[in-house]
Amino acid sequence: MDLTMFGNPLTILTLGPICAGFAFMLVAWAAPPSKRKEISQYIRLLIFSFSLLLLSLSTLMFLESYSGISWTSLALNEYVYDNCANASIAIEAGGCSLVDGFGVSWHVGVDGLSFPMVWLTTLLIPIAILVEWNAKKGAQFHSLILMMEGALIGVFVSLDLFVFYTFWELTLIPMFFLILLWGGEDRKYAAQKFFIYTFTASVLMLLGILVMYYFTRVPVWEGNITGRAFDITLMASSSNNLGSAFLGGFGMQKAVFLLLLVGFAAKMPSVPVHTWLPDAHVQAPTAGSMLLAGVMLKMGAYGFLRIAVELLPGAMVHYQLLLIVLGMISLVYGAMVCLGQTNLKRMVAYSSVSHMGLIFIGIATMQPLGIAGAIFMMLAHGIISPYLFAVCGAFKHHYHTLEIGSMRGIAKFSPWLGGHMMTAWMASLGLPLMAGFVAEVAIMIAFWMAFGWWVILPALTLIITATYYLWSMQRTIFEGGEEGELPDSLHGDEPVDVSWHENSGMFILAVFAILLGVLPFIFFDMMSSYSYEFVNEILLDVLNEVIP
Amino acid sequence: MSTLTLISDPQTATALLPEFTLIVGITLLIIIPNLGKGTFRLPIPNTNIRLPYFLGGERYAFTSSPRIPGVISVFTLLFSTSLALWSQMQNPLSDSNVWCISITGEAFNSCVGMIEPSLLKIDGFSRLLEIVFYGALMLCGVAMWSRMPATPRFMIHAQVLAGRREDERIAKLLDNRRQVDFHLLLLMVALGMSVVALANDLFVLFIGLELASLSSYVLVAFMKETDEAPEAGMKYFIVGSVASAIGLYGISLLYLWNGNLQISDLASSWQAMDSIDPLALVGLGFIVVTIGFKVSAAPFHLAVPDAYTGASSPVAGVLATASKAMGFVVLLRVLVSITMPESGEAFWVPIVGLLAAVTMTWGNFGALSSESPKRMLAYSSVAHAGYLLAAVAALGLNASREGDHVVAELIVAAMLFHLTVLVLFKLGSFLVLSMLESEGRGSKLEDLYGLAKREPLIATALFIFMLSLAGVPPLSGFLSKLLLVSGIVDATIHNTMNFDDGIIAVIRSLHWVFFLALLVFLNSALSLFYYLRVGWVMFFENPPTRKRLVYAPFLRITIMLCMVGTLAFGIGPLADHLLTLVSNAAEAFFG
Repeated sequence: MDLTMFGNPLTILTLGPICAGFAFMLVAWAAPPSKRKEISQYIRLLIFSFSLLLLSLSTLMFLESYSGISWTSLALNEYVYDNCANASIAIEAGGCSLVDGFGVSWHVGVDGLSFPMVWLTTLLIPIAILVEWNAKKGAQFHSLILMMEGALIGVFVSLDLFVFYTFWELTLIPMFFLILLWGGEDRKYAAQKFFIYTFTASVLMLLGILVMYYFTRVPVWEGNITGRAFDITLMASSSNNLGSAFLGGFGMQKAVFLLLLVGFAAKMPSVPVHTWLPDAHVQAPTAGSMLLAGVMLKMGAYGFLRIAVELLPGAMVHYQLLLIVLGMISLVYGAMVCLGQTNLKRMVAYSSVSHMGLIFIGIATMQPLGIAGAIFMMLAHGIISPYLFAVCGAFKHHYHTLEIGSMRGIAKFSPWLGGHMMTAWMASLGLPLMAGFVAEVAIMIAFWMAFGWWVILPALTLIITATYYLWSMQRTIFEGGEEGELPDSLHGDEPVDVSWHENSGMFILAVFAILLGVLPFIFFDMMSSYSYEFVNEILLDVLNEVIP
Repeated sequence: MSTLTLISDPQTATALLPEFTLIVGITLLIIIPNLGKGTFRLPIPNTNIRLPYFLGGERYAFTSSPRIPGVISVFTLLFSTSLALWSQMQNPLSDSNVWCISITGEAFNSCVGMIEPSLLKIDGFSRLLEIVFYGALMLCGVAMWSRMPATPRFMIHAQVLAGRREDERIAKLLDNRRQVDFHLLLLMVALGMSVVALANDLFVLFIGLELASLSSYVLVAFMKETDEAPEAGMKYFIVGSVASAIGLYGISLLYLWNGNLQISDLASSWQAMDSIDPLALVGLGFIVVTIGFKVSAAPFHLAVPDAYTGASSPVAGVLATASKAMGFVVLLRVLVSITMPESGEAFWVPIVGLLAAVTMTWGNFGALSSESPKRMLAYSSVAHAGYLLAAVAALGLNASREGDHVVAELIVAAMLFHLTVLVLFKLGSFLVLSMLESEGRGSKLEDLYGLAKREPLIATALFIFMLSLAGVPPLSGFLSKLLLVSGIVDATIHNTMNFDDGIIAVIRSLHWVFFLALLVFLNSALSLFYYLRVGWVMFFENPPTRKRLVYAPFLRITIMLCMVGTLAFGIGPLADHLLTLVSNAAEAFFG
């Protein structure tokens, strides 16, 4: 079977879920109140199977033996399933243009950087649905998640900055409603804060994008009245050709880099623009948290790599120290704050800040291994942090509390939940043979290669990480003597274990967390080939140009 | 100009078809509601022979229905719009679509080499503006269908209950009279505006301007049920007529200076001047004051918030879109067609640039601090005038760019695009407010509370209009701002510029007009706060009542169409079509 049988698979992955989610939403809205419950069950099944279908599509794309794509031999700026290869010719011919008048095109494609993220998104959506199988107003909830999938994949596959920005903003809307309508007690405040923070940051990013747009003059084609284009590949070619003269000079490149950095750092998030994250996570429903931590944070890292680093390597070299400092502060500060948290979900949220700092550090090493490690960290964290949040959600659901210390010895009452907590916590603190470990080791080695013994600083922080994870896990599932201690919020009810759907969702995540730790090369190869290409083709030239 | 030639010359008749349609519509509007069983007695003694002449007397139920005037005016405008659109769609740049109407009423295919002075010029530019004007007025007409009872509806109802059927009939007739007045004025505005768009002579332009303005003063004061409307109309009338008088004085000074008011003639005299003649300069300055009032630029905007708040929402929407577009046409005609030098910067760039900066900032701060949604929209329309003025300032730089693109054409195209899509989302949001108004709300932000719970679709539409006004991609409001900023950047930044010497040096080397582009961006970011506030209260506050809004099917459909247009003109093939249309119009403006 040909994967392009129904059109470009990336277009299907992007627009399919959005349209389907919209349609399901309408059906759920129009359903007569008496049949709403029944219909919502059918819709849940349909949405679940649709998301499985999308997962199998992306998995088939991944399987080299099936799709015939050799992911490890892609050149830089060469994309798979590119509907607009050689953009300057294809757009002119009208092959992929969306609005000729100002140079917007529907240009999609994936490479070793973006494909893992696309696959991760398709994997997480069915799991998020499984974990929140019995959500209130399920039809609307699951349709929102489906729309979210399309918008997220759109961010990762679009190679046109206008479309990229549109999807970037579009992801805000379902997430905003997920927090606002299904969130905890303080949801209004959290949703507002989430929206204002990320929106303001993305306005700055938009300014950066517009500056790049104004400097991307393209061969004028019929109907393009501004004479410019948003296409990333066109920008990349002019950035490569002009080098430090791109954007009219190195000074402007630095300014644009900083603007983009603010936009992406607020999304990742990195200190000092991280404060929306704990609030949003604590208030969001479990599935929302899973997607927020699993994929939305990766949008920041992905956009940073794809746009800021790839197109403005000179500025990247110039600001290397700033990135290292930002990354180190996020890493240390996030870990220290985790130590002081009494709320499980808040702790996990701050640990995300810490891990994102590690991604910054990996990129800033400017070593092939470091960048590949950072990308692998994106994937690993994208599997592990949803796992953590699923565990937190199960605590909230079955024990009605997230306070560390209010419950002891939970492993006796809920052995499955205890097992999952242990697996997830171990994976996140970087136990060897699990996914997080591989990424951390790669980043540390690269850091050592770049800066020598300074590597002690980030490495020591990993000890703090281990401390707060072990401490919270031990207090929650082990301590408490023979009897254990149930939280007050249970009001004397029998404690129950996780339900079958939560269990199966978390089980899949556990399998992948271990699988990617044991056999990291299934994804690491394509990532490292991307980073080698990038460093060899661009960064070395820039280094030679800038440093002498 | 003899009226006979105007109608009998087939070429003139074709060229002016939309305008003639309007005149026919005005005539019908006068005649049809007066049809009745009127008879007169033949003056023969001792007989009682009565001949019917169908005017006056007891009216027919059909022709005196309050619906009829609205239907006539909307269909007239619809017909005119389609005619203009049709003639704009087919090869707009070819000579066969350019007409010059001479003073004798004859039509020529080219204005060059005409012996008699030409009064009107029909080309792609004026056709596009006609579409904008008629479209906006048509939307206003549709909104008025469900918006304007002569006596408040509950009073009619009470009379019917009391069995006073006779009173009900009289009320209906009064209602019909009132509708006739309103829609007559609406068509007058349309006629005046299209004369402005077509005018090739400053005096004709002024006549059109006054026809549109005087009618719109009455429209503002039309809702006598409220206390604010007459006051607002009075304010608007006084300020507007002073502004017009100043402009007329300016025109007379220009006449003294040049001896004729042909735009092309004025332009060539202006080019021939060695140094600027004070007489001409003062005349021009006075005209700019009038325009400043029309486009609601600061500091001439002070009557605007009051006028918009007092007027009924559809009329306020017309003032914010069509009237503003008219102002910008005059501005382009006066500043660009007449005083643009062959090369180098025009002398008015600093003035217009300053006006732009003040206008957009003042408008935004005004909107931020206003509690009434109508007032907020009024101030936001001031801010939008500022964005357009910034583009005009960049136009005055007279920059040329390598390649086959002309910067000036891009800027004019961007302005036209902005004015066109503004009709969709600005007028659209006024239409939504007019639905609230018909239940006595809409003057406070509290009235929008929980609108999404009462009317999810209407609230979504208003939210999209707000986002588009703020300029959020991929809506059409973003595209228009992007084009405006592109134009300014193009006029000020060149490929050869070097940005390598640090940020201070770069800032020094840039032309100051470039910072207007930055200011446009910053102001748009600022405006997000008050636009999003509307969305927030609609979705997340509790509504004062759970009742649905007034049932007005056509108005609902119109709002939905505006929403679809706001989306479709932002991205996709429709946006492309509109861009082609406006860039052709811009080419026609300079060609």
